[in-house]
Amino acid sequence: MNPTMTCYGEGIDRLADLAGDFSLRTPKDVRVWYGMQWQLLAELLGFSQQLAATPASRSDDPISAARDAGLAAFERSLQGGRPGVTDAQARVQLAALKSLGAAGRESGELWRASADPTTLPMGACYSEGEQSLRAFYPDTAPAYFGEGWAGPRPRAGSACGWQTPLVLHLGTFPWVYSARLDGVGPGTRWASATTLPAVEGLRIAVSLMEPATNLRQDARQVAAIYQHFAEQTAPLVARVQSFESGRAEVGRLYRRGGFLHVHQGSLHVAGLDGPRGRISAPAYNHVLRRFACFFAVRRAALRDLSLLPADGQRLVRSSADPCLREHAEEVTRAR
Amino acid sequence: MNRSTWINLATAFGVTGVIGGALFLSRRASASAGPVPAPGITPPGPGPSPQIDLPPLPTAADVNGDLTRNWGDTPLDLRPLFQLVEEISRIFGAARYLAIAAKRESEFVTTAHNGNAANEQDERDDSLAAYTNNKDRNPPLRHGDQAAAFGSGGLFGALAPYFLWTGVPEVGAKAPLLNAPPEIVFQPRAAAFGAAVYMQRILKHYRVDDVADIKVGWANPGLLGASRGGTKYNEVRARFLADAKVLGIDLTDAQTIPPKLDPSAWPGVHAVFAGLVGAPPKELA
Repeated sequence: MNPTMTCYGEGIDRLADLAGDFSLRTPKDVRVWYGMQWQLLAELLGFSQQLAATPASRSDDPISAARDAGLAAFERSLQGGRPGVTDAQARVQLAALKSLGAAGRESGELWRASADPTTLPMGACYSEGEQSLRAFYPDTAPAYFGEGWAGPRPRAGSACGWQTPLVLHLGTFPWVYSARLDGVGPGTRWASATTLPAVEGLRIAVSLMEPATNLRQDARQVAAIYQHFAEQTAPLVARVQSFESGRAEVGRLYRRGGFLHVHQGSLHVAGLDGPRGRISAPAYNHVLRRFACFFAVRRAALRDLSLLPADGQRLVRSSADPCLREHAEEVTRAR
Repeated sequence: MNRSTWINLATAFGVTGVIGGALFLSRRASASAGPVPAPGITPPGPGPSPQIDLPPLPTAADVNGDLTRNWGDTPLDLRPLFQLVEEISRIFGAARYLAIAAKRESEFVTTAHNGNAANEQDERDDSLAAYTNNKDRNPPLRHGDQAAAFGSGGLFGALAPYFLWTGVPEVGAKAPLLNAPPEIVFQPRAAAFGAAVYMQRILKHYRVDDVADIKVGWANPGLLGASRGGTKYNEVRARFLADAKVLGIDLTDAQTIPPKLDPSAWPGVHAVFAGLVGAPPKELA
């Protein structure tokens, strides 16, 4: 049975196609697909060398093996770079990410995690000298991932002045803020000399490529964020010409295979300017690919629901996501 | 000393001499916007140039050196190019130096161009002067008229005629860009080739006390001689050191950039061209 993603909205099947189809039944397919996704991720985030030098994991599970190697490579690249935050901030960030990750997995809202910051460890505040500062940017204004989020607002007084919910788009880590898609992904700066919350951020993001975590996520949340992103960026991308091999102009930005491409130039200095601010070309490509990967995995997982362990199948049947429940029922009826 | 004076100084020495001209103008090319989806700008010039596509930017798989440590905010996809120059030229430290130079000259936009806007007549005047004053004592440029009208551009802000004569002091009429149109400076591998040759020339033939001195010679080799220590010399040094700081490259990190760069292992112009650009395309033959 070949599942369709139309239940999640128009264009979701085409979106999934951007990441390519694969079968969870075929180990070679799985190795190739996940290997390719990690290579693309490493290229965009700058840890290709470390990934190439990482020995293959001994895990029998190719998805876990790719993840372990990728995260180890990312960690080494951060260790070689400049610290982006202080140890104090990094410790608070790491604790918050772990807390948000656990809650998001449980609630099925891991892609966009939101919380009352005062309920998080240290109230999501850290100290710098005499000052108490917010460990994350308050990102609740209308922007590329949505029209803003009112809650959950802080119910207790915040030592560092939180007046909004903490909202992190962990599915698109390191571009975690709806209003900050210009430049380098803010999450890559979450690294201090001793603590690397960025690794936890990436761990959460890539966990959504694992079938079990993917199926736990309410895909309606992801689809809604994608539709908003697509609406906001479509007019900007429409101004970009399609790439034609042999006819490309040096230094010009093109659309190529659904993504942005600069011919003979740096993608990292290119971007799209719109009313919601500038979105850097790497941010656009990364965000789009994360959405595409999510639905490609969802499609592959639905196609082979029977491969899931029994508790996974129970989870699907009792999911809050009606599309997922409906598909599970269809599979049962088809047997 | 103003920039025109530098050029006059440089041209007085001639490209075939050791000085080689002020190939790179120490001025930002108009690049701040980066690649945008607007229609391409056609540089002024007498007639269209042939389209030549060199190999794409190198990737991490093409280099051995570290692409993580001490690069600051250098774009991730340009680091392999700068690193490749270091490895091909065998000048340890060249990669970080070139990143700092490109930050100032082009803001990392490969098609940065001074000379394509109406208010950039001075740039076109400079390239015209460079061409007019040197064409009789150098091998002919196939696209000399276009180069004369081009101004400067590319990752390192090279002045077109000098850029196309890159390698002439070393290999004479076998210099590889003599038949190229000036727009080839927008191709990052070609721009990197020009930068590598010029850097080794400064290092080999001038008193270069530290990394900042390279940038002084980059602006005007004359500043490394009689004008050493003058106002302009100090200005260029200060600006370079500030650029390094803004970009986030630590010039005291000896693991990635030594206090003095050593060109003694330079493999020669043709080897560097082959390593950076590959076999010359038929249009350059």
